[in-house]
Amino acid sequence: MSARVDVKLVNLTIDGNPVRVPEGTLLVEAAKAVTTDIPVYCYHPKLGPAGLCRICLVDIEKAPKLQIACNTTVTEGMVVHTYGEKVDAGRKAVMEFLLLNHPLDCPICDKGGECDLQDYSMAYGASASRLADPKSSKPKAIDLGPTIVLDDERCIVCQRCSRFDEIITNERSLVVKDRGQRDVIATASGEPYRSNFSGNVTELCPVGALTSKTYRFKSRPWDNARTHTTCTQCSVGCALNVDERYGAITRTMSDEDDAVSDGWLCDRGRYNIAFYGDARRITTPMLRTPTGEFVQIGWDDAIERWAKHLRDAVASDGADSIAAIGGGRLLNEEILVLAQTMRALGVTHLDWRAGRQRQASPGAYGGTYVDLETADLVVAIGRPPSQTAPVLDLRIRKAVRNGARYVTVGSHPSDSFVVSSHLARVSDLAAHVESATRVAFVWDGIDAAVGAQAAELAESLAARGTHVSTFVASEQSNARGAEALGMSPQNGSADSDGIFAAARAGKLRVLSLLGVNPMLHHPLGASAIRDAIERTDFVVCTELFLTETAKLAHLVLPARAAFEKSGHVYDLAGDVLAVNAGHTAPEGTLADADMLVALAAELDVTIAAPDSLHAQASAAIVATATAFGDPKFARASDATSETIGSKGDARNGVRIAIAANIFSGGGSVYFDERLAALRPSPTATFARETAATLGVHAGDLVDLVAGERTLVGLVAIITDTAPSGVVTVIDGLPDAPANEFADGETVALANVRSAERALTAGAV
Amino acid sequence: MPETKVLTAGIGEANLRDLAIYRERGGYEQWRRAVAEMTPAQIQDVTMKSGLRGRGGAGFPTGRKWSFLPKNDRPRYMVCNCDEAEPGTFKDHMLLEETPHQVLEGILIGTYAIGSHHAFVYIRGEFRKGYEIFMQAVADARAAGFIGENIFGTDYCVDVTVHRGAGAYICGEETALINSIEGRRGEPRLKPPFPAIKGLYNEPTVVNNVETLATLPHILKNGPEWFTAVGTEKSPGYKIVSVSGHVKKPGNYEVPLGTPISELLAIAGGPRDGRTIVAVQPGGGSSACLFQEHLDLGYDFDTMAANGTMLGSGAVVFFDDTTNFVEAALALVQFYAHESCGQCTPCREGGHWLEVTLQRILDGGGMHSDIDMLVSVSHQMTGLNLCPLGDSIEPFLASVVKRFEAQFRAYVRTPERVAVPA
Ligand SMILES: Cc1cc2nc3c(=O)[nH]c(=O)nc-3n(C[C@H](O)[C@H](O)[C@H](O)COP(=O)(O)O)c2cc1C
Ligand code: SF4
Ligand code: SF4
Ligand code: SF4
Ligand code: FES
Repeated sequence: MSARVDVKLVNLTIDGNPVRVPEGTLLVEAAKAVTTDIPVYCYHPKLGPAGLCRICLVDIEKAPKLQIACNTTVTEGMVVHTYGEKVDAGRKAVMEFLLLNHPLDCPICDKGGECDLQDYSMAYGASASRLADPKSSKPKAIDLGPTIVLDDERCIVCQRCSRFDEIITNERSLVVKDRGQRDVIATASGEPYRSNFSGNVTELCPVGALTSKTYRFKSRPWDNARTHTTCTQCSVGCALNVDERYGAITRTMSDEDDAVSDGWLCDRGRYNIAFYGDARRITTPMLRTPTGEFVQIGWDDAIERWAKHLRDAVASDGADSIAAIGGGRLLNEEILVLAQTMRALGVTHLDWRAGRQRQASPGAYGGTYVDLETADLVVAIGRPPSQTAPVLDLRIRKAVRNGARYVTVGSHPSDSFVVSSHLARVSDLAAHVESATRVAFVWDGIDAAVGAQAAELAESLAARGTHVSTFVASEQSNARGAEALGMSPQNGSADSDGIFAAARAGKLRVLSLLGVNPMLHHPLGASAIRDAIERTDFVVCTELFLTETAKLAHLVLPARAAFEKSGHVYDLAGDVLAVNAGHTAPEGTLADADMLVALAAELDVTIAAPDSLHAQASAAIVATATAFGDPKFARASDATSETIGSKGDARNGVRIAIAANIFSGGGSVYFDERLAALRPSPTATFARETAATLGVHAGDLVDLVAGERTLVGLVAIITDTAPSGVVTVIDGLPDAPANEFADGETVALANVRSAERALTAGAV
Repeated sequence: MPETKVLTAGIGEANLRDLAIYRERGGYEQWRRAVAEMTPAQIQDVTMKSGLRGRGGAGFPTGRKWSFLPKNDRPRYMVCNCDEAEPGTFKDHMLLEETPHQVLEGILIGTYAIGSHHAFVYIRGEFRKGYEIFMQAVADARAAGFIGENIFGTDYCVDVTVHRGAGAYICGEETALINSIEGRRGEPRLKPPFPAIKGLYNEPTVVNNVETLATLPHILKNGPEWFTAVGTEKSPGYKIVSVSGHVKKPGNYEVPLGTPISELLAIAGGPRDGRTIVAVQPGGGSSACLFQEHLDLGYDFDTMAANGTMLGSGAVVFFDDTTNFVEAALALVQFYAHESCGQCTPCREGGHWLEVTLQRILDGGGMHSDIDMLVSVSHQMTGLNLCPLGDSIEPFLASVVKRFEAQFRAYVRTPERVAVPA
């Protein structure tokens, strides 16, 4: 950290109270130290002053007229009055102007009850309007984009939304259009407002002008019951408030003071909530009959069968015939119970890795969020954090706002809006790290060889005194917990590759899959995984939905999702965060922890009670600080450590880049009816000249082929930013699972058909 | 007192757009002297001593404005404001079109004086002709070696960038202008920070009016004493006044500051035959009206301020006894409501409110309470805004409602306030 400079303190008087605050403090913040809540609309601590709404007027002695508290810095000896006749008159005037053309439709406004305009009009509003003419009428429901609706009549043009989109996300699509009374919030391009952080503007909006499509007219704020918890949709772990009404989740909101998220949420974390109440949830254990159908069975029966298969397997073939994969989506306590139960049976084939990611620990240089935002060089290696850990990307954007450079490395050009360079290889970084004093590495944990190169660079930088911090943005939210708490293979036991290989060789009796969907995500590909599952005597799957993996299992156990259970998780920076149940789980479901406790009891295995495991979990992370990019985590079959440069030869085929997307996946997003507009459809993205060489046009349908493996019916997209010689497809889409392919391998293009022809063919 | 032509000298007699002709008359000699013989500090000193006050509207002393620049090595910029959109003002684009080299020479001297190497000239979008003429002047001056590297054999270099606006009055406000040059929405910035500290591209910046800068060569040539010898103590020098309204010969007239308003009226040909002047708006659309009894006042910054109005940009509009002040008020209010950038609540809402109210009064739907409200609303929106535009409605509106209240009341058909159907 940079040395702390001594802050000079300034003395002033606010409403007769002496106040001492650091030099440079804004009056609006200084006033919070005493009593007074100065009303604000356009000011927001994270967006800074804008001076637009003019409601924050205060009277400063010796100043000729009322001043705005949001853009006045304290000075020594300043005497401030935040109320009194003069101030009230000014604020009343502003309030009258604000309410002049305001529709006052509070009774049908979602913001009613938590609206700043409503609150302050109680204090400063007149009871009757002096406006003798009709109020100006404006559009009440402008469709801003897939997530947000704008009520232009309610908008007070505080520009918080557009400033968020400029200052915090740097995406700059929201603007004020036109001027004067005719001004309106819109996108600069006229295209729909699309951002992975769009929901934040509904919270920033001080009135009911911006509302989420998922929450419009759903509830009144005071009817919501609120629970504070942690988002477990990705490895960031943003603090989240879950609002529930009549047993249904109505909305989620950020926690303005949260140190992890900096007060923001991404749209995945915010909006992916309808799956909780989806009718397709599994609510009873299901057993596959010898003829292949599922029959519902009771919980006791289910646990007994699971225990019996485990016991029998140990007895007949030894503990080596048993394996378990999972943990990355579980709570710390659940991971510990799982690992303890399995290890008590002598099982060592345990792994959390159900996808492409190999490692979750950031190693000895594991950084904090403050390290990240104060870095002067941020390097993202592999998949862009904007898709894997969205709110982490806002930290990177904050670092850039503070003057940092942001460099991405690998085959996936980042859509982070603040990238200054994109490099093919870690070795290309040499010139960039030269002048940096605080370097942060964010790695996707996938390619161990690339991770090792980054680790070597980090080590050499640290050795010459550069401040280094490392982060791993994981595929699964609690991968770090799973890795630290006993779900990693130890002493030569098999990793998930080895486990599936053993299964295919007929060596596995029982395989337990907890909250994982290898059919969609494991890089061995769906056919190999199917084969592995089919050759195993008994496969147990804990799940929320009948995913492509659960469909193949012998026993499916209905699990609970994050808002339905309590415990802890790690965030990617190693903080232990509390998860609190804020939603009543569907009847018939159990948390994985409870299933495992029942299983342990059935097996006569003694394990600690889950809620006593918290302390144990907290200590564990330190013990597992492995090196960043530890070669022991490399996949035995890793053939593609080389990143994609410009080598792809478009004439013979293209190299495939398999991209992450925050809205892909086969579980919570796939089974969320209200997210349809945000879910990516299967696409193949080409650079313009690559498409030209291949004869592909935008909108064409294409197939990709490598030997027996195919990806069928991808819609071609052509952009200027894609790397040449590369086709980018989206990972984790049930309708076009890309896990049959290795990132970077060469594929052939087949069956290119124009959208028109495809349409006719479809109609026939 | 007759006209005294300084900046306007030669206009109408010679083609001052021609570089050779401008040079024959001593053009660019002060630019040469400045760079070759004077230090920036010396020019600043001369300007300070001359007492030159900004011609853009606020009348802020130019030398003092320059002195606010931080003394550091950061790049800094000179911006010449040729957005000229204040109602009644038409002097800057005349200078631009008629004496582009004089304007450019002034800009270059100002740029050198503040230690800058880059001037930006912001020309209102509608001034296409002026823009083309000025671009030619810049090209000619560049070819003659007055712009570029090693000016007059010294190691001083300077560049000039010309930017066309898109026709928004608010872009004449210096920080909105800066936003506009940067390609942002043309709306004023919150101050502080002031442009002198963080202006164009976040670097120290001076914004000066065309006329202000065009005066510099003359002050350098004749010395500050020449300038302070005319005008009043606090408003020295000459000023181009745009006279319009009910006069026989509207136009730009250059006079010493302090010239009586009645003199301006006379220079502009006096009132139309058989008419008497009943009011005069002395400083552009944003200024309060003066009346018959004020015609003998001297036209300078301080006398205007002492009488509750301002000299502003130097636009004097005369109104004779045929004037419908309700219509005049609506015209101005409409202008400000239309040109409000809409950032601040009082300006955005207040202007619109006054506009619809005035329109309704004119349409015969007014009530007596509306007329009181015009005064109270325009007063209420004043002093609460981010930039002066929001404070621009009250002066004229309040002054004419007070003076010509009967004209407003005569429109009222509904004496009592009754509920108006929505
Ligand atoms: C709404 C508004 C419009 C303005 N328009 C102009 C203009 O068109 N030309 C101008 O020189 N100054 C204009 N100004 C004043 C400028 O902000 C600035 O003060 C001036 O250019 C400074 O030049 P000076 O110091 O040479 O007078 C305007 C100010 C406001 C508030
Ligand atoms: S939509 Fe809301 S946040 Fe955006 S400017 Fe209007 S009131 Fe402010
Ligand atoms: S960044 Fe991750 S933890 Fe945060 S809201 Fe989004 S999905 Fe949830
Ligand atoms: S006073 Fe009017 S023109 Fe000036 S910034 Fe505010 S809204 Fe814009
Ligand atoms: S909060 Fe200060 S002007 Fe809006």
